[in-house]
Amino acid sequence: MVKEIERVGIPVVHVCTVVPISMTVGANRIVPAIAIPHPLGDPKLDPNEEKNLRRKIVNKALEALSTEVELQTVFED
Amino acid sequence: MHLELGHILINDVQFGQQTAIENGVLYVNKEELINLIKEDEHISKVDVEIAKPGESIRITPVKDVIEPRVKVEGPGGIFPGTLSKVETVGSGKTNVLKGCAVVTTGKIVGFQEGIVDMTGPGAEYTPFSKLNNIVLICEPREDLKQHDHEKAVRFAGLKAASYLGKVAKELTPDKVETYETLPLLESIEKYKDLPKVAYVQMLQSQGLLHDTYVYGVDAKQIIPTILYPTEIMDGAIISGNCVSACDKNTTYHHQNNPVVEDLYAQHGKEVNFLGEKITNENVNLADKERSSDWTAKLVEFLGLDGVVISQEGFGNPDTDLIMNCKKIEEKGIKTVIITDEYAGRDGASQSLADAHLSADAVVTGGNANEVIVLPKMDKVIGTLDYTDIIAGGFDGSLSPDGTITVEIQAITGATNELGFNKMSTKML
Repeated sequence: MVKEIERVGIPVVHVCTVVPISMTVGANRIVPAIAIPHPLGDPKLDPNEEKNLRRKIVNKALEALSTEVELQTVFED
Repeated sequence: MHLELGHILINDVQFGQQTAIENGVLYVNKEELINLIKEDEHISKVDVEIAKPGESIRITPVKDVIEPRVKVEGPGGIFPGTLSKVETVGSGKTNVLKGCAVVTTGKIVGFQEGIVDMTGPGAEYTPFSKLNNIVLICEPREDLKQHDHEKAVRFAGLKAASYLGKVAKELTPDKVETYETLPLLESIEKYKDLPKVAYVQMLQSQGLLHDTYVYGVDAKQIIPTILYPTEIMDGAIISGNCVSACDKNTTYHHQNNPVVEDLYAQHGKEVNFLGEKITNENVNLADKERSSDWTAKLVEFLGLDGVVISQEGFGNPDTDLIMNCKKIEEKGIKTVIITDEYAGRDGASQSLADAHLSADAVVTGGNANEVIVLPKMDKVIGTLDYTDIIAGGFDGSLSPDGTITVEIQAITGATNELGFNKMSTKML
């Protein structure tokens, strides 16, 4: 899906847990997620902390979306 | 470590007054077995049925399959850390009831459970159609949480297998197989001209009912470690796993791991088989990196020349598999990987979710997306309520005439990644 959307000229950020698969598949902007069953959250955290975590990942994704890249890039912390 | 596995050949299973084995027939006291399983207050209702090869019977949803075994001599008991006390097993003597198994069914625990047909085209895809099966139909207490339900049915299967195994404790086996693994340095010295080969077994540990237990420890909490392969023959590894039926390892698969058996068969001939490493398949990247790093480190530290790696399940564990393969190959150690494929119903899609050039020796258990039509059976043990929702099934899988159209993913053991099946390519 990442590649098909990019093919029509819309940049995509792939937020995913298993970064190596994203690299293999060929995503250009990759933001690491938390875990496969809960990519954007963490049930171990209390709701406020979890909200902060979710916001951080979304902000990171937006930042990645607006960053020019030459090669496949992983946006780590 | 030295283990003698005594095969007690079971040709038939019947209900009887007393649980015993006579002339190759296993007699089961149904009431006694039901009462044993009902000791667990989490289970409200239990029934036991027998399903034999060739009978027009469909068992579904199948959760686990377990082979009855009993420890005859040596430390520990069968299923250490779960049913028996924690003690290192794998030495001495163990008797096995060959030709029968305990199968657990009942209300579905997780959506990824399987079908075992005892006859017809589906029977060809599961090794369990060739066994005399003692099927436990366990219904959970109302309001029981899903993970407690899983645990209750997991223990019901283990208890039943242990109960049946005990009747073989005093019997003289029909056949005895001997397996031995020496301490590392002794084994290297003994066959110093042969290539040093070990087995890396990946255990399903994604959580949420996709779990495996090692001496009672949830495998997602282990770091890669070493076992004498005979330990698994005594039930050191058991399944608590409701992942896709075709490529999960049931407890029976763990007890009868064909990679271990084949490596033992070549030990001292073509290879110097130096034991088993186990690792896991967790759901976050740090765990995947750590476990594959440690697996590669162990393999290097032991000075091996090559390893056979088997996967369990599919999807994100494909990455664990490729990480293990790549990191071990980077150390100059050869690998062969055993996996299966999800290449679409036409077989044209990419087979694995991840790939790498170093994975250049691959054994496949087959394409799990292949569609099969399973004709109606005269009898269903369990229920057909879930055939449309189990993995491999789809809306409309079950026709009004009782025919089921599913991907072979839904058949227990169909594309097993230990190679415990018969699928092959056509030779042209």
